[in-house]
Amino acid sequence: MDYQAHREISERVKLAKEVLANCNLCPRQCGVDRTAGEKGYCGLDDTVRCFREMLYYGEESELVPSHQIHFAGCNLKCEFCVVAEWNEQPFMAKEIDFDDLAKTITRHQNEGARTLNFLGGEPTVNLYGILELLGRVGPEIRVVWNSNMYYNEIVDTLTTGLIDIYLADFKCGNNSCAEALLGASDYMEIVRHNIVRAAEHAGVIIRHIIMPGHTRCCLTPILEWVASEIPNAKVSLRDNYVPPVQATSAPAEYLTQKDMLSAVEMAKSMGLKLVK
Amino acid sequence: MNNKPYKRKPGDFEIRILNDGKVIMIAPDESLIEVAQAVDPVNTPAKNGDKGKWQKPNK
Repeated sequence: MDYQAHREISERVKLAKEVLANCNLCPRQCGVDRTAGEKGYCGLDDTVRCFREMLYYGEESELVPSHQIHFAGCNLKCEFCVVAEWNEQPFMAKEIDFDDLAKTITRHQNEGARTLNFLGGEPTVNLYGILELLGRVGPEIRVVWNSNMYYNEIVDTLTTGLIDIYLADFKCGNNSCAEALLGASDYMEIVRHNIVRAAEHAGVIIRHIIMPGHTRCCLTPILEWVASEIPNAKVSLRDNYVPPVQATSAPAEYLTQKDMLSAVEMAKSMGLKLVK
Repeated sequence: MNNKPYKRKPGDFEIRILNDGKVIMIAPDESLIEVAQAVDPVNTPAKNGDKGKWQKPNK
């Protein structure tokens, strides 16, 4: 974290709380008053709920061991989400105690966690809680914003300087697939804009979970865009797509080794910086 | 009961056995990862920092 940004954090917490009174954190623009108990698209009021926190070794190698904090609630409805149950019913997750969780963060850092990793669900819709937490821990921690990057400018403004690495989960390469699979028809413009902005002030790893049958429509356009617009960004191609039990729009198959190797070759041929 | 597949609820674990015999755990928590490490230590990232081939299915 940037020390100056960390010193200003109480002001940012206040602003983040104010935003919740007419929530426009993300392009859903719900405008609900979450501080009065109203819930928007993400299903959350102003409580902050965590369904899992753990030291994890399966993220990109430069991040591990990574202390993951999974917040409930999301502003996308990905058909293939493997934690959808927590996003559909975020109130089943326990409301966090900021002081207790801050102590846990410090303990994991002392145990050797290389990064503090906010994910979900989606960190965006839990921005207020994340800022509250960051205000309770030291500024020396490397913070990862593990996000779908589908948010409004206020999120970038309030996280600038506090996030060391934006782990940008770039899911679809066109708005048609994004609408069908994620429920977001304006996905591309917003996510591309936010990734470029994040890269201006922090490290960025663009992660893409390769989906069977979505090479031409999703994988290729994403890689081409990265090569063209932010060629220095790191790219992480993941082979761990899990088809939903009852797929309607999402692929019903698992990725093959051949698909994965082709994707890696494509990325290499574009000169992209692949990370594992 | 109906014929629709069971839908996970918060707190449920899901483990799948694929046609090729591969076993995958859906979004495992710490205890399931410990099981994976015990069953397949080579392909599961260990707590000593080894980088196995195993990856968590992602959101």
